[in-house]
Amino acid sequence: MALAGRVDLGERRQAALDLLTQYIRIVDDPRRIEEWPALFSDDAEYIVITRENHERNLPIAVIRDDSKDRIADRVTIIREFWGAGGRAADRHYNDAWPRHVVGPVWVEFSESGDALVGANFAVYQSVQVDVAPRLLAVGEYKDVVEFSGATATYKAKKVILDTSVLQDVFVYPL
Amino acid sequence: MPINASRPGGTNSKARPSASRARRPVAPDGLRRIRWPQEDNKIPREIFTDPDLFRIEMDSVFTGPVWVLVGHESEIPQPGDFKTLSIGAIPVIVIRGANGRVGVLVNACAHRGTRLVEGPSGNVLRGGFRCIYHMWTYDTEGRLIAVSLPDDFPAEFRKEDYGLPRARVETYKGAIFATLNDAAPPLLDYLAELTGGLDRVLGDGALRFLGSIKVIFRANWKLYVENIYDGYHVTALHTGFQVVRLRSHGGERLVPNYERNGHLWGRSKSTPVNELTPALRDMSLFDTRTKPTTDHNMMVVFPSGVVTDYFDTIQLRYVIPLDLDRTQIEFAFFGRTTDTDEALWHRVRQGPEVLGPAGAITLEDAAALERVQLSATARGENVVLKGTAKRFPPYRHVDEAPIRHFYHAYRRLLGFPAPDTQKADGR
Ligand code: FES
Ligand SMILES: [Fe+2]
Repeated sequence: MALAGRVDLGERRQAALDLLTQYIRIVDDPRRIEEWPALFSDDAEYIVITRENHERNLPIAVIRDDSKDRIADRVTIIREFWGAGGRAADRHYNDAWPRHVVGPVWVEFSESGDALVGANFAVYQSVQVDVAPRLLAVGEYKDVVEFSGATATYKAKKVILDTSVLQDVFVYPL
Repeated sequence: MPINASRPGGTNSKARPSASRARRPVAPDGLRRIRWPQEDNKIPREIFTDPDLFRIEMDSVFTGPVWVLVGHESEIPQPGDFKTLSIGAIPVIVIRGANGRVGVLVNACAHRGTRLVEGPSGNVLRGGFRCIYHMWTYDTEGRLIAVSLPDDFPAEFRKEDYGLPRARVETYKGAIFATLNDAAPPLLDYLAELTGGLDRVLGDGALRFLGSIKVIFRANWKLYVENIYDGYHVTALHTGFQVVRLRSHGGERLVPNYERNGHLWGRSKSTPVNELTPALRDMSLFDTRTKPTTDHNMMVVFPSGVVTDYFDTIQLRYVIPLDLDRTQIEFAFFGRTTDTDEALWHRVRQGPEVLGPAGAITLEDAAALERVQLSATARGENVVLKGTAKRFPPYRHVDEAPIRHFYHAYRRLLGFPAPDTQKADGR
């Protein structure tokens, strides 16, 4: 493999897995959502789409944050529009505590040395108005991780939802 | 079940229950316990929590003399293309037949009732619908065309008697409407003056389907629909509009044809994007690029269709009651066939980010309606105040008064006593 002499794929693999762990810890903690955009590259995209639309090549996605600006805007929408996470305590529209369960994770490398990371996930959310946790979504990550020195960031994070019907509205990124 | 659906070529008279029964629904004894106040601005909370009422609504409203919005022709462009949804509790298949005509078939095998198609969409031009259970097969018109091993069937068995029930279907500028009731008037009579608003959104009907997103709201279907009539909540609930200082500069809430059908046509003109506070780095969410002005239309085709062109987002919504406290909303997004690639992509990027399950201006409705539902067991009445000094449309775009007309139409269908429209308390 062309890259073998230049980069250590084992290290990159670990960095990609660490990035996923970081991601999960941040999206599962409403207090840390400001840290979420920094996990993405400058020209990154974050897309949440149903399997139905993905497979029919229909462009409508649940979320299409196709620039770093829109990724940063998501934090503004969460905090300022929806008042979620405590900053505007009187406006908790849907003060959910999310919980991702992720795995297995598989990692491959592209010719250019990006890591292609796939993983299964289930996301629950626990909301104030309900005693039982709610199963929000089940699906698959299809991510592209790029590396700059020792730092790994998402060039693309694509979240594919198995069902066509979302079980609930949601605040924090999947 | 008062379905007056016709069967293609059917001679089975049992398939055609009398229209008169469907035309005159009478609230059964069980519903007398629901007390509607005399004033028409008070809504008893029991109507959101009563399981008997929910079952009756599925017949009296959704299979009553109404036209239910079930899709747009661009969702099923090719012969054999279909999509599935429900009209109230009745699962249906919306299909473009082999002959190119749009039909709506009940999604239940005529033999022993098996759901024929499970998925949300597909194409059956080849092969038709084959039931998995005993392999009966129907064509795109719902005609039964093949039966497995019929040798010991009763002598009088005729395939023609076992087609799938079909709804009456009419389209308006590409929007597909279906009714399961013979007493429904012609679609144009039903839509009446609402066509003025529909024309603005649907144009000549040449739309391009971009995809849809479905989500479950944890609220009764009426709470979802009445929320569209409510102009009062818009600036109060939707903080995003406050953050960017987006206001409505005039507009009105019409209830065209309110005496009969209770549709809503809300019109408003909003602050142009270059005058908004740029709270987001990408303000295209609030941009209007494909229309000459920032006038938006938001319509309800009673009882359960929503049509809007908010900003550049052309959207149809299909409201499907799943249970007393769970309602599925399908947000279907469209472009125009005349759109440039750039305009189309702008619509793709804007629509779901504003008006969709993860949209900046949608989540709050879901949260509010869920909370209304949660406390509906408190009994008592919800009250409509803003704008009720006026008895008749047009209302101001910030009024909630139009909600009353939704319930007028609803009460008529269910056979609840009519309100005293001269009385509106609390003013
Ligand atoms: S139930 Fe469909 S063939 Fe028997
Ligand atoms: Fe709203």
